[in-house]
Amino acid sequence: MQLLISSVCMALTSAVIGNAYYQKQQFYPAVVYITKSNASMAVIYIQFFVIVFMFGKLLRKIFLGTLRAAEFEHLLERFWYALTETCLAFTVFRDDFNPRFVALFTVLLFLKSFHWLAEERVDFMERSPVLGWLFHIRVGSLLTMLGILDYVLLMHAYNSTLVRGPTVQLVFGFEYAILLTVIASTAIKYVLHAAEMRTDTPWENKAVFLLYTELVIGLIKVVLYLLFVVIMAKIYALPMFVFRPMFFTIRNFRKALNDVIMSRRAIRNMNTLYPDATPEELRQSDNICIICREDMVNHSKKLPCGHIFHTTCLRSWFQRQQTCPTCRLNILRTPTINSTVIPRAAEEPANAAAAGAAPAGVQPAAGADGTVINPAAAGAPDAGQPHPNGPAIRNPAVPNFADILAEANNLRNEMSNRAGIPPPPMISPFMMQPPFGYFGPPLVPPPPMPQDLNTFSEDELRAMEGNLRTHIEERIKMLRNISIMVDSANILMQQYQGIIARLPPPMQVVPPNPDATAVAAPAPSGAAGAAAADPVSASAPVCDKPSTSRAATTEAKPHEGQVNSVAISSPVANASEKVTIEDLGAEEDLNPSTDAGSVDVDSEDSSELSELRKRRLKFLEERNKSPTATSDKSD
Amino acid sequence: MAGSALRRLMAEYKQLTLDPPEGIAAGPISEDNFFEWEALIAGPEGTCFEGGVFPARLVFPPDYPLSPPKMKFTCDMFHPNIFADGRVCISILHAPGDDPMGYELSAERWSPVQSVEKILLSVVSMLAEPNDESGANVDAAIMWRERRDEFNRIAQRLVRKTLGLSA
Repeated sequence: MQLLISSVCMALTSAVIGNAYYQKQQFYPAVVYITKSNASMAVIYIQFFVIVFMFGKLLRKIFLGTLRAAEFEHLLERFWYALTETCLAFTVFRDDFNPRFVALFTVLLFLKSFHWLAEERVDFMERSPVLGWLFHIRVGSLLTMLGILDYVLLMHAYNSTLVRGPTVQLVFGFEYAILLTVIASTAIKYVLHAAEMRTDTPWENKAVFLLYTELVIGLIKVVLYLLFVVIMAKIYALPMFVFRPMFFTIRNFRKALNDVIMSRRAIRNMNTLYPDATPEELRQSDNICIICREDMVNHSKKLPCGHIFHTTCLRSWFQRQQTCPTCRLNILRTPTINSTVIPRAAEEPANAAAAGAAPAGVQPAAGADGTVINPAAAGAPDAGQPHPNGPAIRNPAVPNFADILAEANNLRNEMSNRAGIPPPPMISPFMMQPPFGYFGPPLVPPPPMPQDLNTFSEDELRAMEGNLRTHIEERIKMLRNISIMVDSANILMQQYQGIIARLPPPMQVVPPNPDATAVAAPAPSGAAGAAAADPVSASAPVCDKPSTSRAATTEAKPHEGQVNSVAISSPVANASEKVTIEDLGAEEDLNPSTDAGSVDVDSEDSSELSELRKRRLKFLEERNKSPTATSDKSD
Repeated sequence: MAGSALRRLMAEYKQLTLDPPEGIAAGPISEDNFFEWEALIAGPEGTCFEGGVFPARLVFPPDYPLSPPKMKFTCDMFHPNIFADGRVCISILHAPGDDPMGYELSAERWSPVQSVEKILLSVVSMLAEPNDESGANVDAAIMWRERRDEFNRIAQRLVRKTLGLSA
């Protein structure tokens, strides 16, 4: 097709020239004859375009080789847009319209297409498995040549504008300035990609460099476009033909800005909030970053939920989504360590040693008396007086349960890192199966126990009575706390639903020590059963996965009643669906009796559940009281 | 060292080749371009798509696995969750944030933890159990709900077609 067109064109041109020579016999009159005849000129123009096209093909062969299908498609798409814009530009400069003008625009379009192709090629670097020397030579020379051409033409336009005042050269000058920025960013990208390719390890900061390059180039472009629009509007008319590229440039710039902000936030969070994963933790997990599917040797971070990823992988993900990739825990709701939580955590020194060591450290710890017992207290070395009845929830400064809960996990992680203690044994089986980990204990934040609304101190009651502003504020605080409790119960319900759906049969669950059950059952409440709980804590390290999940289940039950009206909404209903989706790719060693388990658990009567719950609470109490004993065992 | 997207795709390809899940085959169309894959999906047994082998094409974005790939069946399909042009509409393929149908929980959406294998397994289960709430193909959804026999007949015809048998 192309061959046909060019040969037809060639034939036509030869015919026109031959005809002119035949009629005039001499060179000069022949040239005059051709330029006077419109038909001859049309043929000559078409021949000119064909030659440009062929020249373009030649250059492409030299610098780029064969184009990939995608490259060609993009080129075509952008070319048509550029052509339309050029035609629009003609309308503004209709007075200057002459062959020279058309030729200049042709050159511009010609160069533009090579800029696009160079851009595509460099972007493709990252995606191609092997690149030879030829590629580097080609890209390097192409970029150099385009850069020099842009610069020369820009200078020409600049000088001509200085000498002759604003003409159409203004447009060209501006266009070449934009193209220069394109070349600059392409060259920077090329250097970055090439630098990464030289080493065998992924270059961690490349993404950041790319991001900032994008931002700076975007800013320059936006400024250029705005400047151009203002100048053009003043001298000629509003330049309609730059609106489309300007719009895209501004949009890209906004995106780059947004990315930079998000990235900075993610980096800050990562540096301050999440601890580096210790070698032990890496060994206990399967040591593969689930984002890039590569080994984690160094530079990996542990999220509050216990999942470990490469720092760089996490960072690029956090630029888009501020959730844990595995369990979707919202990390932005995990605040920095603030003053309201730490002191309270310090009130529970008994927890300290147990937190990282006892298997139950995995479990959300909650006292029966309305106190949030923070297992993370270990992080606070300057522990104060024991304070079992601290009105934790009523603390007006408590921001959000999710915050506290995530914080607790976070602190615990940090603790175990610092002390070099391996994370609680029960985490590991879950971390080896990231899809499964979604339902693992590390995700279940400590359930806030319902605040005891029956026993208010005189002061508290007085604070809430009356019509003064402070009283009303106090009441609102109270209500807000209640609403937070309901919310968190809601969240917990969803997680528990997930756990229940895949529980093994409850029969395996009974702890190996039968005494524990017997002793625990009659215990009226957590506090009272402290003495009886010894066997329970003794048997604790033997507890296996089922018992953990089971304990979580038993806790889920009371909450179900509490939030009945709120929680049983669509999220809960959808929980089972979610499970199936996650389930699809899960490892083969998933418990085959999942279905049976969930049925059994669901059909359990509540008396047994409450009994289990009591036992568990008592166990937690006990753990608080005898930290040394439990920590010894887990060692 | 090539880009992280490429390395991850190579790893997934290797994994899928060494340990292919049942009823699924997938790999790059050409080894030069790891960002376009072809997949073959066997219709799940016991459903109206049983016996069929459905070819599909997966196109991965440059920032995979941060963004989900796009999936499109290259054969004729008639299914509530597949557009008439073959595009597959399941939540696992949607990036969190965009919600074309306005009903999906973000928890069901794409995350870097997902993989080609999980996508294809999700598609298999989608073939087995269409979700007639999300109408990528409304005709198919209505037929699935109200005239199951007719739906099954069409599906069987498609199955025969993919096998190269005359309908």
